[in-house]
Amino acid sequence: MLCFRKIPITTKGIRLYTTVVKEQIVASSTSRNNLRKDVLNHRHVYPEFLPDPKIEFRNRLREKLERNDMLSRRTHVNIPEFYVGSILAVESSDPHSPGKPHRFVGICIQRKHCGLRAQFILRNTIDQQGIEILYEMYDPSILKVEVLKLEKRLDDELLYLRDALPEYCTFDTNMEPEILPEGSPVSINDIKVKLKPKPWLERWERKNLKGLQDLELPERFYKKAEKLATPWEKYDLMKEYMRTIPEEEQLEIFNEIDSRLEKLQVQSKKMKKRVFVKPTKLA
Amino acid sequence: MALTFSSNFARSTTIKLLGEKFAAINLTYNSNQIRERHVLNPKPRLRNPTWFTKQMKVKRDELITRENEAFIQQAVQDKYSNVTPKAEIATNVEWSPKYQRTGVIARKIGVYPLWLKTGEKIQTTLLEVLDNHVVKHYLPEEYDPPRKRPKLIVNKKHCLILGAGAGDPTLFTREYCGLFNESGIIPKKILARFFISPEATLPLGTLITAKHFQVGNTVDVRGKTIDRGFQGVMKRHGFKGMPASHGVTKTHRRPGNIGGGGEKGRVWPGTKLPGHMGNTWRIAKGLKILRMNTKYNVMWVSGQAIPGETNSICYVFDTNLPLRKPEKPVPFPTYFETGSEEVPEDIYDESIHRFDDPSLIFKEQK
Repeated sequence: MLCFRKIPITTKGIRLYTTVVKEQIVASSTSRNNLRKDVLNHRHVYPEFLPDPKIEFRNRLREKLERNDMLSRRTHVNIPEFYVGSILAVESSDPHSPGKPHRFVGICIQRKHCGLRAQFILRNTIDQQGIEILYEMYDPSILKVEVLKLEKRLDDELLYLRDALPEYCTFDTNMEPEILPEGSPVSINDIKVKLKPKPWLERWERKNLKGLQDLELPERFYKKAEKLATPWEKYDLMKEYMRTIPEEEQLEIFNEIDSRLEKLQVQSKKMKKRVFVKPTKLA
Repeated sequence: MALTFSSNFARSTTIKLLGEKFAAINLTYNSNQIRERHVLNPKPRLRNPTWFTKQMKVKRDELITRENEAFIQQAVQDKYSNVTPKAEIATNVEWSPKYQRTGVIARKIGVYPLWLKTGEKIQTTLLEVLDNHVVKHYLPEEYDPPRKRPKLIVNKKHCLILGAGAGDPTLFTREYCGLFNESGIIPKKILARFFISPEATLPLGTLITAKHFQVGNTVDVRGKTIDRGFQGVMKRHGFKGMPASHGVTKTHRRPGNIGGGGEKGRVWPGTKLPGHMGNTWRIAKGLKILRMNTKYNVMWVSGQAIPGETNSICYVFDTNLPLRKPEKPVPFPTYFETGSEEVPEDIYDESIHRFDDPSLIFKEQK
């Protein structure tokens, strides 16, 4: 369902190291743990590198080939770290307007699928008209992906912005990128969105959303939502297991591509230094 | 000597007596009368092919010590570690479009998109060509098709048995392992039969790789569809069902009317009804090979509707669609390494955008 998977760090991953001789553990446990954390941090930055956990679709060779293709595409376009709620600018070439790259600025309201089919949706309001564009992450017609504001929101999907007042998803198309100091944590924007009155696209009161203001609905709507809620699902270990890739396997996957990812990061930093655009006056 | 002579004498006398008896019967027997039902084309007798033997042994607790187990494994390894083809591939025959080459056994390993140079996204299926070895070769007279019509050899093609997926010989039956004696290769889990022209014969034990096919050519893929069990008419035949509301009760997913009245007052043969869906052999025809990885023996084939689940086995062979047969020479009878030329790891079709190429930029056409 969601591309961004929150996996609780359990003792599962630690079990890997219990077989190693004890002395070694004492000597290098801290450095190793740090390394492991770094590698596992990739699952938030590059969630699409984790395969679809559905067991009937899995094949190791296919996944490996897919990852290789993703990495070789990334050498030509820098796809930076971004989350649902970040504001992005995407430049892409369009066969219907040859010679002119098309640029779109908007907030990322959803990230979905994994592997080469990874997609994200950008939303903005232009001339009082809500506009959404679904981008394929590994589409070769994408020329540039720029993060203007790196932040998270309270929810994993912001599809409710479609029913929100337009000021919540209106962003200046000439926005300047906000440059954060290196290594700073990603801030969480705890803004609460006000929705337009009904009718809505979905029954948002049933979705257990945190980034919404009071919906001002009659009591019966909340009662129904409570009746249909499944709060026990988060304790369902089996469901959690089926929905996620085990930590051992994540380690294996990211260890395999770690060196190439690092190279890409270094490359993108160099590119950043070279390109300096003088800020233009906002309209 | 004397004993045998006497017995021969006794036999000849009895035959004489029988002949007299039959002569007497023949007088009363009407030879024109036909007692049995005459069938013009008798129903073919169902028969299994010769290589269709019981594969797996019944598992028993055989009391083998660890040392002996290790010895058996060592023996298996020694026997099958360096097996070479029984003969050189005949290279003197030149390819001609009328010749039929062998196919290969492959595994469907997934579906993912590729992009064309026009910017269009297409879905492709990945087929991993397994370790195909030639197990047996049958001449048309030797090969007994499972449904044989007497005195009529329709199929004048030769037949090649390929095996893929090396297995543990200790788990297979004696007869099954015997199939591989001639070629000397390790017993394989999967066998497949391909008809070939006599010119496309391959020596036993030859390895066939993905390079047997060429990027840009068209193939057919045969596989067993996903078993969906007993299904209703909506899923099985794509019927519309009936409305969810407006007074409809208990007939939301039912077929509705299945026939007329009067003279036709019965269910006609072939009426689409609920029943078992899937688990049947189907051939997806006319699939273009768009990309190939020679290191992992993987082919990217157009389309996502290849029969079978991911990780299921399928059989890939040159297409028999008349307009999509290859015009340029293909590796014949199969690809063999000459050693001089270097094959790139990734081979793409001309229409496909490579992932390691720079981004697409559309230019104005004047």
